[in-house]
Amino acid sequence: MKKFIAAALTALGLAMPAHAADFPTGPVTIVVPYSPSGNTDVFTRYLAPYLEAKWGQPVVVDNKPGGGSMIGTAHVAQAEPDGHTLLMTSSAFVTAPSIQPDLPFDSRTDLTPIINVGHVSFVLITNADSPYETLEQFIEASKASPKFAATAGLGTTTHFAMEKFIADSGANVDVVHFKGGGPAVVSILSNETDIYGSSISSAGKNLEAGKVRALAVLGNERIDVLPDVPAAAELGYTDLEIKQWLGVFAPGGTDMAIVEQVNADIKEALENQTFIDTVTPLEWTLNGNTTAEFKTQIDTELTKWQGIADAAGIKK
Amino acid sequence: MELLGNLGLGLGVALSLTNLFYCFLGALLGTLVGVIPGVGVLAAISMLFPLTYNLEPTTALIMLAGIWYGTTYGGSTASILLNIPGTPANAVTCLDGYPMARSGRGGVALFMTTVASFFGATFGIILLTLFTPIIAEYALRFGSAEYFALMLMGLVAASTISEGSAIKGLAMMTLGVIIGLVGLDSQTATARFTGGSLGLMEGVSLIALAMGVFGVAEIVMSVRRVKASDIDPESVKLKAIKPTSDDVRRSWFPMLRGSSMGSFFGTLPGTGPSIAAFLSYAIEKRLSKTPERFGKGAIEGIMAPEAANNAADQTAFIPTLSLGVPGSATMALMLGALMIHGIAPGPTLISDEPELFWGLIMSFWVGNVILLVLNIPLIGVWVRMLTIPYHLLYPSVLLFICIGAYSASFSPLNVWMVFAFGALGYAMRIFKFPGAPLLLGFVLGPLMEEHFRRAMLLGRGDFMTFFDRPLSAAIMSLTGMILLWSIWSSEGAKKRRTERANSM
Repeated sequence: MKKFIAAALTALGLAMPAHAADFPTGPVTIVVPYSPSGNTDVFTRYLAPYLEAKWGQPVVVDNKPGGGSMIGTAHVAQAEPDGHTLLMTSSAFVTAPSIQPDLPFDSRTDLTPIINVGHVSFVLITNADSPYETLEQFIEASKASPKFAATAGLGTTTHFAMEKFIADSGANVDVVHFKGGGPAVVSILSNETDIYGSSISSAGKNLEAGKVRALAVLGNERIDVLPDVPAAAELGYTDLEIKQWLGVFAPGGTDMAIVEQVNADIKEALENQTFIDTVTPLEWTLNGNTTAEFKTQIDTELTKWQGIADAAGIKK
Repeated sequence: MELLGNLGLGLGVALSLTNLFYCFLGALLGTLVGVIPGVGVLAAISMLFPLTYNLEPTTALIMLAGIWYGTTYGGSTASILLNIPGTPANAVTCLDGYPMARSGRGGVALFMTTVASFFGATFGIILLTLFTPIIAEYALRFGSAEYFALMLMGLVAASTISEGSAIKGLAMMTLGVIIGLVGLDSQTATARFTGGSLGLMEGVSLIALAMGVFGVAEIVMSVRRVKASDIDPESVKLKAIKPTSDDVRRSWFPMLRGSSMGSFFGTLPGTGPSIAAFLSYAIEKRLSKTPERFGKGAIEGIMAPEAANNAADQTAFIPTLSLGVPGSATMALMLGALMIHGIAPGPTLISDEPELFWGLIMSFWVGNVILLVLNIPLIGVWVRMLTIPYHLLYPSVLLFICIGAYSASFSPLNVWMVFAFGALGYAMRIFKFPGAPLLLGFVLGPLMEEHFRRAMLLGRGDFMTFFDRPLSAAIMSLTGMILLWSIWSSEGAKKRRTERANSM
């Protein structure tokens, strides 16, 4: 009943302006800029009940897919900055702007980063029947005869991963775009392309079954599920850290006290053992950094991906 | 005998009380979702997805799969009775199903499509049971060049899909291709025909197009023209579902051909039931000695596509389960249901999770029998829908179309698009432009472009890539033969017509 009254008050516009002390004063909407059932959606729907319990207010997950996540993002950028409309989005937040001109918002100022909740690592894979046992062998071979790299689509994190890999390693590789990670993995299985920076979850079973071979983890450290695969940093590529992450944002200009409170409340959920047990099978590594750290990460990545897009001549 | 053991294991899983219940629930929901125009399987499964969090993975998948193939069963109902495709895969069933209903054979059409659906699904399941690992390997041989060759063959084979003027048919196919171009170009991210709208970047939704051109246009056309009393009350009685022996005789080969086509396209990720249904219709029309009957209520024209889309529904599980590659957004959802429970489908799924794999396959049998038992008595109910006065029926159908268009991608833009396409469809009806080639161009055009561009990239700009790869070369030469044959046969037909005219 309490919930109902609060909801009704908000609906009638009678709620008091939010202060951190009494946040939230009404139902909180978390906008997911993807269709139901995607990775981002599932994660958010798991998280919502924890926040609901903490806040004593309904937490609604609202799917606004389209425009490579930019439609939902634009929606939150233009929402009331009172903390009652939040955005849960992926690293497309930092990659998509570098290929989509004329977005109706500024990624740096119109959204306030709150927390990075988790990430999935990428590995470079080739067909298991290919002659390349190490990344070095692949790069050498590409210089003798040019190779093809698959991506899960133009402007996706996998696309930027491949461009960054090419730029850093000097491999002679052309990118070919597929529609989604599944077809990209198939192109490796069928020898149509030669290398693909796949998320662990897309590559998973095929790695285990020995159909594809992992050459390197795109990061500075090895990962637990693939202890024998070297990290890119070990092979001399210290700037090749690429992850698909998930993060929460509020509209730009939201009271920092509210932002900090949401950060703390989400962090609490991320440390809940039941929550950890539910999302671990989805191959997520949970993070939970501070607002300032996340802000720095976003600014760095926006600059980094724009630079790669410009250098690689990806259309803007 | 290992197979028998596996089947036994699967049957045990499928027939457990819980699984049986969820299988029934899935099939029932699927049928309902299919019958209601516009509410597609993707929307239905997305809405029910959270339910599966708390189920065993096998049970969850059995229910979701039931919705998936149940939709295609139910989808033909609205196509036949209202000329409104229940799902995109049933759009082609409108072409001959609706004329059958108008001539008082709606019951027969519903009964026969149920039989065709069952036949097609059974065909698909047999392939799934016996050959999953082999087919999965085989599907890997299809690269972009092969996909392009296949799409080209489809387009050539289907070029006679419409009635009447060939020029009008071609114009509609081209318009379909152009509508399909809307959105971000897949290789360069150039926005095409979006007019700066973020919403159009994802392209036009097939649901909006099919609902508008077929559904809304049909409703607008019927305003003040047809009355419920136009329907012969005798034709809605249950005994009116009995097919004539001529119907039965004509149905065997279309069902068989439809099932084979459907099974084939189902296994290829990215094609699936809609394309299978369209192409098998086109093939039937081409093979028929009396192609002029098509579009006027030819039983072959509903049997082949309904067998094809149901067969494709089943074989679509082959790449999903054995390669871990979902062929469509709906299949991606099913993968999601497994991933949540920590099961990643892939080459080792059958050996790692035999209970899940065989249980699921056996549940398909069970589910299809349930659908058969469920659907035949329901025919009487559905057919009576035709006797609902149109001033009550059509507004509610419009409402469902709006809900369906919205829930397809949770976007109000889709609803506007339905109305824009409704206006287009109405204009097309008035000027006698056919709708089927428009839809076919829309479905095949963008796929052709995508695969052509990719094949050219991978072939480093050499057109010979389509002829150097043996499989692609074989499909290309088959396409050439179909083209020659169609020219020859149309010339022959012309000659026969002149001869007949002269002899009179």
